[in-house]
Amino acid sequence: MPTTYPKSSPTEMMGLLVLLKGHKGSEDVARLADDLDLEIDEILPALEYAEVLQLVTVSDGRATFTDLGKRFVAASIRERKAILRDQLKRTTLFRTLMRALESAPDHSLSDEQLSQIVSFTTAQADEAVQNIVNWGRYAELFRYDSDERRLVARRRPTSNRSPASKPPPPGASASTLGTGGLTPHAPGSSGRSAEKETAAVAIS
Amino acid sequence: MALIRVEHVDKSFPTRHGSISIMQDITFDVKDSDFLAIVGPSGCGKSTLLRLIQGLDRPTAGQILFRDQPVNSVSKQMAMVFQSFALFPWLTVSQNVAFGLEALGWSADRIHPQVERYIEVTGLDGFQEAYPRELSGGMRQRVGLARALAVEPAVLLMDEPFSALDPLTAESLRDEVLQLWQDPSLPPEAVLLVSHNIEEAIELADRVIVLSRRPGRVLAEVTVDLPRPRDRKSTAFYEFTDRVYSLITEGRPSLAGTELPANGDARAG
Repeated sequence: MPTTYPKSSPTEMMGLLVLLKGHKGSEDVARLADDLDLEIDEILPALEYAEVLQLVTVSDGRATFTDLGKRFVAASIRERKAILRDQLKRTTLFRTLMRALESAPDHSLSDEQLSQIVSFTTAQADEAVQNIVNWGRYAELFRYDSDERRLVARRRPTSNRSPASKPPPPGASASTLGTGGLTPHAPGSSGRSAEKETAAVAIS
Repeated sequence: MALIRVEHVDKSFPTRHGSISIMQDITFDVKDSDFLAIVGPSGCGKSTLLRLIQGLDRPTAGQILFRDQPVNSVSKQMAMVFQSFALFPWLTVSQNVAFGLEALGWSADRIHPQVERYIEVTGLDGFQEAYPRELSGGMRQRVGLARALAVEPAVLLMDEPFSALDPLTAESLRDEVLQLWQDPSLPPEAVLLVSHNIEEAIELADRVIVLSRRPGRVLAEVTVDLPRPRDRKSTAFYEFTDRVYSLITEGRPSLAGTELPANGDARAG
């Protein structure tokens, strides 16, 4: 089964969730598409992201909010970004990307290196890269320097090159947004979420 | 007190074949905390009306008041969001958002925190250094929104802001605009939305001004007293859209001069 990151944006996925909210949190996918005069395959990519990020479950052609999905649509723009960030970090691809960024000498990756990493985890690297960069940027996981064509870490982790700088305090967040209380899984469920991570990349 | 009063406004443009009337005798108010939508068929002067309200153009007759003062030049209390985003391609997201503040003469040390704040509230954090060409339509319109909100306008004017976006993106941005307007800690006090999309107007607005075909006249002012979030599939919602569609369709013979309900006759309870 090929694994791909289909072309869709965080904004489109959020649009789909807002639509689902208007249907009281559960609706046939066909009906959602019909609501916007779209064909089903035009909303499937957005739906796949929502499913992978554990915001909805899809069963028998019907999409239903998870508890986290309900919290997501009720949240502010900032809180939604924090949830996206947490959920993306659970996927194998983004976890791999973040590790690569942290371990890279200058905490940045060229387009080429990025493509290589993406090709380890998905089938259609070239098309997927731009799309993946967009998700990670929106969720504030990393920056992208379009002049240099490099992915750049947002927060420099503890670095040997600048011994004067203090390591970030434990639990320091990549931004000032409070992510506390938004962790979707209770402590101790890490084994299960690891399984989900594996499932998360295998978007059919 | 009304924030904006549009009083008996006419607008016509001279052409080689004489003057063309765009709108006639337009009267309505924008109140504090209002979300007002203007709908009507294309060519009814909706966008021209927004330009007149902001002071970018002058009415041929009648007047426009902002907090009881005539709008005689471009108002600093209003900011516009455009259908086409109207971003500068050679400026980054941050620089685009800063543009309006620079134009208002803000000092550099005040601009930076203001730009950061509005980048954050519109969800643009992470794209500060991006150029518009790197952005999807939805992200570009967020930049348009951040640029408009950064000047902390009392009234946000929106000219078909969602119609250049794909349906899912538009759905997301409508939700975000509503969220920003409902947040008392953020501008604007009132939103004035121009749209040709009747469902969109009824989903978002407290009141909908329905304009006729050119020359635009106010056919009705419909108060949408449905609780938010609004269910587009509910019977009550359908009744509102049906009413506005009927008004616009019946408004067609207005070129022949007509039996239309006068200004405000169809006002909802």
